[in-house]
Amino acid sequence: MLLICGTVPQKDLPLIKGEVSLSGEYLHVDGVLIPCSQGTAALISAATRTTEYLETDKPQVLLVGDDGTGKGSRLLYDYLIKNLPALSPKVLVLHYMLPIMGLMKKVCESASKVAVRPFMMADAAAMYAAKASGLARHFDIFTPDFSELAFLADPQATHPAYVSRHLFESDVTKVPDLISAAYGNGSAAKMLIVKGATDYIALNGRIIDQVAKPNIPALEAIGGTGDTIGGMIGALVHSGFTNVQAARVTIRANRKAGEYAKATPATPIRQIIEVLPRVFEDHMKDWLHHANNGMAERRMIE
Amino acid sequence: MKTRPGLQLIVGSGLSVYCVRKGISTSMFFKDGWKSAFEGGGLILFHSVEDAMCGERLLKTCGYETRLVAPPPELRKGCDLALEINLVEKVGIERSLGENQISYIDVLPLKGHGELLQIVRLTDFGDAIMVKAGNMKLTFDKHTGNVVNVSGGGCPDIPYLHSQMLNKRLDEAPRPRDIGHTLCSLMLDRAYVESLEIWKKGRQ
Repeated sequence: MLLICGTVPQKDLPLIKGEVSLSGEYLHVDGVLIPCSQGTAALISAATRTTEYLETDKPQVLLVGDDGTGKGSRLLYDYLIKNLPALSPKVLVLHYMLPIMGLMKKVCESASKVAVRPFMMADAAAMYAAKASGLARHFDIFTPDFSELAFLADPQATHPAYVSRHLFESDVTKVPDLISAAYGNGSAAKMLIVKGATDYIALNGRIIDQVAKPNIPALEAIGGTGDTIGGMIGALVHSGFTNVQAARVTIRANRKAGEYAKATPATPIRQIIEVLPRVFEDHMKDWLHHANNGMAERRMIE
Repeated sequence: MKTRPGLQLIVGSGLSVYCVRKGISTSMFFKDGWKSAFEGGGLILFHSVEDAMCGERLLKTCGYETRLVAPPPELRKGCDLALEINLVEKVGIERSLGENQISYIDVLPLKGHGELLQIVRLTDFGDAIMVKAGNMKLTFDKHTGNVVNVSGGGCPDIPYLHSQMLNKRLDEAPRPRDIGHTLCSLMLDRAYVESLEIWKKGRQ
């Protein structure tokens, strides 16, 4: 099971769970319509389009309404703490949820009780909570942007708003140094995918890939272009790709999607997500050929 | 009795004095505090013990997780009673305290240098400008002043703010500080204020 957990901005939405489908501008979960917009909805939408292309199981989601008060987030934490061993996901993606260090520790404790340890990914505030509570090493993938990488590199910061000025002011050419610092202070997951003008993939402290083309500066302005990365990787790993293959394909697909959608700063994220199947159709085989190919590549080519 | 490094058990402090004066036991304030796994990472400093206790009551009523602590010496200002809070909730907490006229000195992180990022960066896309503050980015149309996108961040009020601000003119959009709750919304507020200023200057 690919289990994606997060919040959506409908503040009165109770905790809902189930398989998701994407139709037009809306996600359908347990009879509820959720707009495909920035945040966890974008991550789920990208994951759904990816699983559709791969013809694999659709994502399962745990979603709750939260406008920032944290009430919905607490319900989500509690549900995960109580039910993760029974849910037994193969891939667990934690996303927009109020960062609460004590509760994140309990979620990780609960995940450790799953019979087969889930592949654990965190982005957005779930990543903030994991780092701030010293749990980064329990995760397989974090997907920070540059400012969030500076946060991971700052051993003292508990939120990106309090990052040391000298780290935040670092030039983007210092990304390798910040990656080193994040691993050095134990604040990095096993793999970091750093989103930016150049995307970097680091594994266990070593940069193994970087991609700068096509260069689509408008992607940075579009809310959700980081979320789509998490969704694609989760779906690819769940479908049998290695973490390295999934990361290499994803960072290329995200950029290509920006190009296909002719992204401008005003482009809504759903337009980027809608072109993903075409991007995969046109490029997946080539990307897999260049990636560290294995079982997943054979499956795709056959 | 064990507690987190940097936080001290309050014995012989202003709280004790206050409690003796009021004839109440300090143990009631710490009944669950030391046992819980609460790690908020933030501290509210108050002028007086009375303010601290009023603040604690109010915030608990509002649903915030808090605990009364003695601030570490290096952070101490005002009285020697403080409230540990989830630092991320700073915006909502400060708004609640302000609306209820509970005065406080500052809200600080327990670790680090204690200063919020003030740096703002601009990217000119031609028809639109992206203003970046900390981990948040707001992009607006130069001509109409409409918010065309909000990106970055990770706290749950950001998708909500995105939905409330999108396609609204900057001077008609809700201010993130007024309806947000978290540090991400505070960074977005910085981007918003800067955007508004840039757009207004461009119209003159």
